[in-house]
Amino acid sequence: MDATIAYLLTLAVYYFIFNIQTWGLNLQFGVAGILNFAYIIFFAVGAYITGTFALPHADPFSGQTYFFGFALPFPIPLIAGGLVAAALGLLVGVIALKRLRSDYMAIVTVSVGAIVYDIIGNYFPLFNGQDGISGVPFPLQTRLGLDYNTYQWFFMGLAGVIMLILFLIIQRITHSPFGRTLRSIREDQDVSEAFGKDTFRYRMIAMAIGCFYAGVAGGLLIEYISAFNPSGWTAGETFVLFAALIIGGRGNNWGAALGALLVPVIFQEATRYLPQFPNSDTLVPALRNVVVGVLLIVTLWFRPQGLLPERKAKFPKVQLDAPENKQEEADVALG
Amino acid sequence: MIYLHAIGFGLVTASILALCSVGLTLQFGVTNYINFAIGAYLTIGAYFAWMVNGIGLNIWVAMVVGGLLTGVMAVVLNLGIMQNFVRRDFPVLFMLIVMFGLSLILQNVTLAIWGANFQNYKVSSGQELSIGPFLLTSQQLVIIGIAVVAMLGVHVLLTYTKVGKAMRAMSDNPTLARNCGIDTDLVTNFTWFISGFLAGVAGVVLALNITSFQPSFGSDFEFVIFAAIIVGGIGRPYGAMVGALIIGLVTEVSAAFIDSSYKNDMAFAILVLVLLLRPQGIFATEGKA
Repeated sequence: MDATIAYLLTLAVYYFIFNIQTWGLNLQFGVAGILNFAYIIFFAVGAYITGTFALPHADPFSGQTYFFGFALPFPIPLIAGGLVAAALGLLVGVIALKRLRSDYMAIVTVSVGAIVYDIIGNYFPLFNGQDGISGVPFPLQTRLGLDYNTYQWFFMGLAGVIMLILFLIIQRITHSPFGRTLRSIREDQDVSEAFGKDTFRYRMIAMAIGCFYAGVAGGLLIEYISAFNPSGWTAGETFVLFAALIIGGRGNNWGAALGALLVPVIFQEATRYLPQFPNSDTLVPALRNVVVGVLLIVTLWFRPQGLLPERKAKFPKVQLDAPENKQEEADVALG
Repeated sequence: MIYLHAIGFGLVTASILALCSVGLTLQFGVTNYINFAIGAYLTIGAYFAWMVNGIGLNIWVAMVVGGLLTGVMAVVLNLGIMQNFVRRDFPVLFMLIVMFGLSLILQNVTLAIWGANFQNYKVSSGQELSIGPFLLTSQQLVIIGIAVVAMLGVHVLLTYTKVGKAMRAMSDNPTLARNCGIDTDLVTNFTWFISGFLAGVAGVVLALNITSFQPSFGSDFEFVIFAAIIVGGIGRPYGAMVGALIIGLVTEVSAAFIDSSYKNDMAFAILVLVLLLRPQGIFATEGKA
């Protein structure tokens, strides 16, 4: 296969994965107003669960140690990854969403991010610590008997189909009465509660669905590149996703998709070809993060709604009664 | 015996924590949004002092200079970034995103300027001294002394000075404070300066206590600081002092029982417990949270 085509194929798969991630984040932050600064943790948990559910039992001679190792066939590990991420999301939600103030939410999620990163990186029996897990089998490759090149096309199609299904679902959720309730909670939690909405429950569901999306995205990534370790999910990655969502347009799934294309795919890939500075392999990535941060702050300053803003709901004008009817009604009420 | 030593180390950690969490909680009370970049402020303070120390000045002088520079940086950042968003009545939700962004920008700027290598100060750690049941270095004693002096200073500031009273007034009710003729912009900048100064000093003593540091060391300590201010009740300086004491002692004493690489995670366990059982903080009254 031509190197350029192979590269574009890889980019396409990455883009699909980023899309799924930003849609999950959009439901949490853009629609429900939940600040989940540990979002990448759920992506990572989804990846690790998918990987270790698909891998056979850990072989002590291979040098890898990990929990699970069920060697399950294709869709099961991916779904399990999403579900475990969602369950973890509920657990974090119980602590973070109980209080009204968004500060608590942010503090708890930032801390959860640091702790989970610490534990997974240091505790080798769980997911092989800093070394990460590798050798995850490609889904369906042996069953279909495809050679490497054809399989790349197949995987892009598979990821594309999964992305499309998840897009249709998230669009339905966002525009359903449930999504409308989430938006009302985002705008004014007290008013929503006064209308009898159990705001905690609504936000917990949004948290779970968003984390499910993150988990599935992580699962797809590990099935595609077959390896995963903590350098792939630092706190900076969460920030890249927030930047993508805010620049693209929070509250709007199309905006999220545009942001995923602009920030993690085009910007991150384009800067990959900058010349490296001698004696410093950290300089370019560091400056890249600085630029993403500046872009985000500039967007918040000049166009806080993003490139594709959330569309405001339009309601048909209520036909007011003619004055004489009003008078009659008033008479009836008085009489 | 090992537990008593651990309590001694706990007092040192509590001192470091108290320095930065009191400043953080004061700023939180006045501005009403939390500074997610506090970890980066610690790191930058440590590097400022490292440069001053590098040209041959005594470490304690370097610490004061590092603190002052960090304080100035905090004011500049407030004027350049935060103040503009606040003036436009940006919702707290978005202020938190701005602060989260700022923390990553500062962290990566630190990485770009000073590189990822570990650094340490030109200083002797001093001899070990047995004071009562504790076994501490003379340097650690100085750290405890600095924290005690700083806490007394904050107490005097808040109780006896006009600007301190203005800070408390703004923390209780910013609109009322402004209507009473308090120059809220000036008080906000002053608060950022104090908060930055204390964070810079805390960064230096934290670096001294763990002997070597690199660009992410402040951010790694960040959630321990958050735990201290939540235990004490957000926006309450005296609560933060007690919170720092509790978190400092628990993390160090727990290191005697569990693998010490997980000791900071104990701070998180306490944070979760407090949020579930008494989210307004242990000492707070109704209102703030």
